[in-house]
Parts: sequence; C-alpha cells; structure tokens
Amino acid sequence: MLTRETSDRTLPTLITLLVVGILLVTFDVRTSGGGMVGVLRTGTQTIVAPMQKVASYVVNPVADMVQSLAEVAILRQENLKLREELAEALAELIAVQDEQARLGLLEQIYELESAGGDLGRTVANVIGRPDRVSLIIDKGASDGIAKGQPVLDTNGFVVGSVHTVTQGSATIVPMIAGQDGVAVVVGEQVGILMPQVATDEMRLEILDSRAPILAGERVETSAASVNFPAGLPVGQILVDAAPTVDTLTTTVQPYSNLDTLRLVVVLAWPPDPITAATGADAPEQTTTTTTTTTTTTSEDDG
Amino acid sequence: MRLRTGFAVFGMVIVAVVVQTTLINQLQFVTPDLVMLVVILLSLTRVRPEAVLGVAFVSGLLLDLLGSSLLGLRAIVFTVVAYAAIRTRERAEIGRVGVALWVGFLTFGGIVVLALVGTLFGQETLLGSDVVSHMFLVPIANTILAAATAGLFVRLVDRDATALRFT
Repeated sequence: MLTRETSDRTLPTLITLLVVGILLVTFDVRTSGGGMVGVLRTGTQTIVAPMQKVASYVVNPVADMVQSLAEVAILRQENLKLREELAEALAELIAVQDEQARLGLLEQIYELESAGGDLGRTVANVIGRPDRVSLIIDKGASDGIAKGQPVLDTNGFVVGSVHTVTQGSATIVPMIAGQDGVAVVVGEQVGILMPQVATDEMRLEILDSRAPILAGERVETSAASVNFPAGLPVGQILVDAAPTVDTLTTTVQPYSNLDTLRLVVVLAWPPDPITAATGADAPEQTTTTTTTTTTTTSEDDG
Repeated sequence: MRLRTGFAVFGMVIVAVVVQTTLINQLQFVTPDLVMLVVILLSLTRVRPEAVLGVAFVSGLLLDLLGSSLLGLRAIVFTVVAYAAIRTRERAEIGRVGVALWVGFLTFGGIVVLALVGTLFGQETLLGSDVVSHMFLVPIANTILAAATAGLFVRLVDRDATALRFT
C-alpha cells in the first residue's frame, strides 16, 4: 500500500478553487475575452507558442503518418478523385489565363486601371489544437494577423475567424464552434448559419423566406455579414426545405474539414481601416488591422 | 511539495499540455487526454492533496488560456476530477488493471462534467462535433495509457523505486 500524507484541508481547498474558477468564468463572460483575461491569454500563448512550433515541427509528420495509415483506403479513392479534379481544374485554369490575357489587353487598350479589390492573404501552418474546437497557427500580429479576420482553407472555403492574436501565433475559432452565427446567402435568400451541438453540420435559418431551398445548393457568405467578405463558399444544403409561414430552417454541411487542416489562409479583411474601427471589436484592434492591410498588400505586390 | 518534486510535476504538466495541443488533438482515433491523466495519476503520489488540487486547477487554466473556451472551465473540471481521484485513490491500489480502470472511470466522469459545465456556461460546442465517440474513446485511451505508465509516473514523481509496484 502507498503511504501518503493525509489532510482534512482538501475540501476547503476544493471549494476555494471552485469559487475562483467560477469567478474567472464570470469575469471572462463579463469582459468578453478582453481586458485582463485577454492579456493573460496573449501572454500564455506567447510563452507556449514557440514550444508548440517546435513540437509541431517534430510531431506533425508523425500525426500525418498515423492518420494516413488509419485512412489508407479512403486516401486512395480520394487521390483518384483529386487527380480527376486536378485535370478539370487545369483545363479551367488555361481558359481563365486566356481570358485574363484578353482582359489585360483590353484594359491596356482602353487605359483602365485595376480596381485593386484583392484582399491580402497570409498563409499559416496549423501548429496546435488546444481543444477540439480551436486551432493555433504559426502567424501572429507581426505577420499582419488581427483579431476577427476571416480564415479560409487552401481551397478557399470558410473555416472560421481569428479569436486571439500574439506576436507570433494566433488562435482560430471555426465557425462550427463559434458563438456567433454567420450571415449567408443561398440563391437570393439571406439567412443566418448557426453551429449545432455534437455535429459539424450547421443550422440555417432564413427569416422572411419566400422560396424553397434544395439539397446541394451552395451557401456563401452574405454582403450583410460583418465578419466575412461576401461571396466566400461556406457549404452546401443537405436537406430540401420549404418555408413554414415565412421562416425556413435546414441543415448545411460546411465544405471545410477541420480534421485534415494543416494550412489555412487568413484574409486581411475588412481592408478599410475605417470599417475595422466601426466594427464590433475593441478599439485597440484598429491599429493592428491597419498594419495588417499595409503589410500583406505590400507582400502581394512584391 | 518539495522544490525538486515541484519542478518535476511542472515539467510533466508542460510536456503534457504541449503534446496534447500539438500531437494528440490532431489525431482522430487515438485521443487520450494527457493533462487529465497527469492530474489523476498525481493523486497516487505522495504529493500533498491540496497541491494536487492546485496543480489540477493550474493545468486546466493553462488549457483554457491556450484555447478559445471560457477561462476557468477546464480549471473547474480538472479540480473536481483531482478531488474525486484523491477521495477514491485507495480503490485503485488493487493492481495494474484496477489503476487503469479507475483512471478510465475518472476520465469519463471528467468529460461528462466538462460537457455539463460547458453547457451551463453556453459552451455547448466545447467537445467538438464527435461528442459521443470522444466521451468513450478518450477514457479508453487513458485507461490503456494508465496501465502502461502509472507505476513509472508515480516512481518518477516520488523518486521511489518501490512505489506502486504490483506483484
């Protein structure tokens, strides 16, 4: 048998720690993750992120290998499918390049200037997953990442948004776990996409709906969204649905697959610092967003 | 808790947190909760129970700070799990299988409490999309890991080669 110190102080210690824990939760809820809690998070992530980067460099190949062994049959099928898609994409690319060349020529002829509407993009590696519903990436404020910026996967599908930023890392909260809904558009109907418990499918609610929605229809971010630029692909409708009175509810399967994410793309959005300043986030993030736009745009230009 | 033991425990917690947040959470099938495992196994050592509760709280807080969930959620859950472990540890001393099953049950309880506390504070999506499989696979993985490492862990922390040896 083991010999240990016995103590009667465990219950008072437990109660004290539980009270402290509940106070912390309440404090976090009241400050919405900002203030002292935000500083604490940023500080901890700044310390731990370098260790995670090193660990991720070592363990990512191991994780990939284990995952690949478990899914070898699925990967073979997926590989074949991807080859077909690649061939189609290459054909489309050639057509687009041809059109771009024609466009460039026409712009030159009519002396038109580019609208410059492209958003800055920062590619980042996923170096950690602190829990089942968030990701840590290896790019932070020093790379132009700011809180609230949209995050896409390498196919351009919406993943989520930036939750916390340190100098060298950032935490991403996927839309399937976010507390806020995403304003989306299906055809011409605008609705809100909300996460659901215990599934990666999302619930779409369209108020003031006038037409039915069919399975397979594409869901994109809406111009009404304050967190995402319009027109980004989000997912597809899973079940046919018709409006009841004037409300329509159905389920959506997001395109992005969190389990296989290794790389993400962070958009420098909103591109206009004035828009960022009027956003829902704290005022101090305005400065960071300004830096983001400048940095990333100049990288793209170069 | 002596300084040397304190450093050993701190090191183990940090390693567990880093491995958990980089390697383990990227896997879909083999998914132990290393930090919870360390917290539970710590109650089998000669570290004072109050210190075990403190370590559990800090470990949970560390995970909360690294993640996007509310600060304090995992701290509360890990503290409750550590308390349950301290109160029931005598039952684990019947052998290797006993220790492993005890760890498995406590891990299961911890995940259930996390789901409940998360729901209570509006964090229903805390456990991700595969809650049910997560609720069973994590305890099973922790059970297997505990069977393999519990004795070594206790001997390392207590620096006692005879600790937790089952015949």
